[in-house]
Amino acid sequence: MSKAAHSAARHPASRMLILTGTALVIGAAASLAAIALVELVSALNTWLLVAPKARVQWEQIHWLVVTATLLVPTVGGLLVGLAHRYLSPAGRPLGPPDVIRAVQFHTALPDGRSGLISTATAALSLGAGASVGQYGPMVYLGALIGGAARRLKWGVPNLAEIAISCGVAAAISTAFNAPIAGLVFAHEVVLRHYATQAFAPVTVASATGYVIANVVFDRPALFLVDFAGVAHGYEFALFAVLGLVVALAAVGFMRLLLWAGPACAQVIRRAELRPAAAGLVLGVTALALPDVLGIGTEVLRFATIEGAFGQGELVILIAAKIALTALCIGAGFSGGVFSPALLIGSLTGALFWMLVSGTGGVATSGVAVYAIGGMMAFASAVIGAPLTCILIVFELTRNYDVTIAAMVTVVFSNLVSHRLFGRSLFDVQLAGRGFDFSLGRDRARLAALRVLDLASEEAVTAQADEAPGAVAARLERRDWRQAFVTDGAGRLVGVFTPAAGEGAATVGVAARPASLVFHEDTDVASAMAQLRDFVGDAVPVTERSSGRYLGAVAEAAVVSAWVDQSERLREEENASL
Amino acid sequence: MHRFRSLALCCAALAGPAAAQDLTVVSWGGAYEAAQHAAMVAPFAQETGTQVEMVRYDGTAGALARRGASEGWDVIDMLTDQARVACAKGLLLELDPQALLGAEALADFAPAAPSRCAVPQNVYARVMAYDERAFLGVKPTRIEDFFDVERFPGGRAVQKSPDGILEWALMAEGVPPAQIYGLLSTDRGLRLAFRKLDTIRDHIVWWRTTDEPAQMLEDGRATMAVGYNGRFFDAAELGGAPIDVVWDGQIVGVEVWAIAATTDAPDAARAFVAQASSPEAMARLAERIPYGPARVSAYARIGSNPKTGTPMRAYLPNAPQHGARALVRDAAWYANTEELRARRFQAWLNEAEE
Repeated sequence: MSKAAHSAARHPASRMLILTGTALVIGAAASLAAIALVELVSALNTWLLVAPKARVQWEQIHWLVVTATLLVPTVGGLLVGLAHRYLSPAGRPLGPPDVIRAVQFHTALPDGRSGLISTATAALSLGAGASVGQYGPMVYLGALIGGAARRLKWGVPNLAEIAISCGVAAAISTAFNAPIAGLVFAHEVVLRHYATQAFAPVTVASATGYVIANVVFDRPALFLVDFAGVAHGYEFALFAVLGLVVALAAVGFMRLLLWAGPACAQVIRRAELRPAAAGLVLGVTALALPDVLGIGTEVLRFATIEGAFGQGELVILIAAKIALTALCIGAGFSGGVFSPALLIGSLTGALFWMLVSGTGGVATSGVAVYAIGGMMAFASAVIGAPLTCILIVFELTRNYDVTIAAMVTVVFSNLVSHRLFGRSLFDVQLAGRGFDFSLGRDRARLAALRVLDLASEEAVTAQADEAPGAVAARLERRDWRQAFVTDGAGRLVGVFTPAAGEGAATVGVAARPASLVFHEDTDVASAMAQLRDFVGDAVPVTERSSGRYLGAVAEAAVVSAWVDQSERLREEENASL
Repeated sequence: MHRFRSLALCCAALAGPAAAQDLTVVSWGGAYEAAQHAAMVAPFAQETGTQVEMVRYDGTAGALARRGASEGWDVIDMLTDQARVACAKGLLLELDPQALLGAEALADFAPAAPSRCAVPQNVYARVMAYDERAFLGVKPTRIEDFFDVERFPGGRAVQKSPDGILEWALMAEGVPPAQIYGLLSTDRGLRLAFRKLDTIRDHIVWWRTTDEPAQMLEDGRATMAVGYNGRFFDAAELGGAPIDVVWDGQIVGVEVWAIAATTDAPDAARAFVAQASSPEAMARLAERIPYGPARVSAYARIGSNPKTGTPMRAYLPNAPQHGARALVRDAAWYANTEELRARRFQAWLNEAEE
């Protein structure tokens, strides 16, 4: 309400200036921060002998490479674990789910210190070669910068949420050199609506990121490919089948990832030691299979080259990368899932191509389009953003034919993974924390409101042994028709109405069981559903375990909370400025 | 600046026995050496009165270690990576470029700045060239065509070394230039590159000295060749040979001047390097052989070839019409992977004999 009052005080032109100015500043800052993060990781990869180009130059000192392979991820993991344990109030890496939550519920991000530690540990994790992605931390870093705008009381509605989205868009725009994908990602994953009020500043931020990446730093497109076009019409059916196959792999990957966290916690009690253990496993694996180390830019490219991998090699590499990514993230390395998803997806695409073309003998237009389709389809299933992924293909490869082919794969993958698993890994992770977006953002917001918070202080209560007359008089005074009767231990006995109490000795005897009871965890969404057939003033709220009376919620309070939320959502989603 | 340097040279010439010493400048022979002689060595000799002798070598740091001291080498023309290797092994004199050239001149160098032991002198390109008589219809235009012996039959003149050809093998697989060295750093990348080389194995004619590839094209031993752009220019434009250069996928490298650690005339050697690094000298070289200058200010001075009158800027590796796909040779990577590449290359050569 107060926000609406503020906004009325602001002239639209000044709101436009504030939004555009905020977008420019945050866009530029997030973009520079993203470049700094990429450069830092790349420098660490070189110094720590994670990057193949660095490793090969020390190839003659064999023991050094072996030692680095074993020690770097292990020690890196130890530092990450210690930093989370002793320096970060949140005690864990932060990522896109935290951003989505803050934006969707109009709350603050976790504290800034935890955010900075999380970014630093992400740089360290990636730099030390952990099998995690760099885009999750990048999204969080952008959000962290945008989140600073929350402090500004400039009377522009939704400024904090838009500012966070600006930061995210600019970071993605810069990191992928993909301004359109940055814009769509911020809307598709973070904001989840396309109001003009948000769209315009996010576009400005995304374009700012692009200008900084291209004009100032002159960074090349990340994944240029030569592809002349799809040779056979039937290949589009193959692309769709690839989407289904990739979706199954992605669902397996996400399930394993969700399982890995608790599993690691069971095996190793002390949280600060888990990443080190995962790092050691990674290092040992990398001795035999160096492709699993780090972000794997080289592997991504190899996947588009015919004959770069043998069939068996591919199967082993896909399995190893899935397992190690789940392990690294489950154990608490700081980093995202997007880059590993790209890698696993492209290898899966290459394997699919090999089976179809080699074993199946079907003529195709080459491995590259299958690898790229698989890559984006896997990533799309994981982050739940098909539009973003289609646009990323376009902007990474700058190739229209590849994009059209990948589009089919992406959409079929999303279809299956959404049905089998959920909209995205982020959403399933959030649902695990009690924020369920599977039925829409309105439902999620209502589900986050507890009816207990709406409890009326006016509600009339009575002890079971009180006389009906006294209670009836109290009801009369407060203009209520029902009193909630509790026993000596504070447990709800029932509802007393003066009409039913005539002739009874105590209200305890006259009370009838409540026709509807809410609990401390009942949310507005489910309350609304239950109120459908309810007749009465208010619903009592009791503690689920003990039955203790906690308060009573007027039906009108629930309805107006619902109306308020819907109103607010409608305003947000249709705001023009 | 320049006047001051000339003055210093004159003083040096008058003052000490150093100037009276002979100077041995080591280079690669052929058209390149002739151009260097005309552009740098002769003017220097004339100006300072120094007797300069030119010696030819194969461009490796190994040759410097074997022959440098006994043959009295002073100034050496080297590839950047070989200079790095030689510098690390203590075969080269440390130059202190700041004192030698001055801060203003140092800022003028591009794409590479002078380092501890080496001053960049020109920018060359390793390119592919073909015999125009061999392909009357469709001509090769891309690096991929070098590995396509069905469409473009005939011998392939390739240097007997892993230099350059491994990069092209991956480029022909569609790897963009920015990722070539990253991929070649992996075992998988090397395997892929050699697999690509397998496809032309039976067609390769090996060459060892840099003037051979143009000759091989001329006398029909090969229809396509790997070589340096200046040599092909020399054969085609000056020698009238039916050779055309394909610039797609050119590998750009930087050639440097270095001074042997065993030099007996360090002052004269430094004076030579300083003068040869002047924009005037670089422009004179580029007019005689199309190797681009290593200093920005030299570009504006480049005119026509004194023999043929051909305007030379169009033939330099960095001329804009030569297309976008170019690879800058990663000198540090080259220097540090020399042993590995040589080992793998030898193993690949041996495979054929088994």
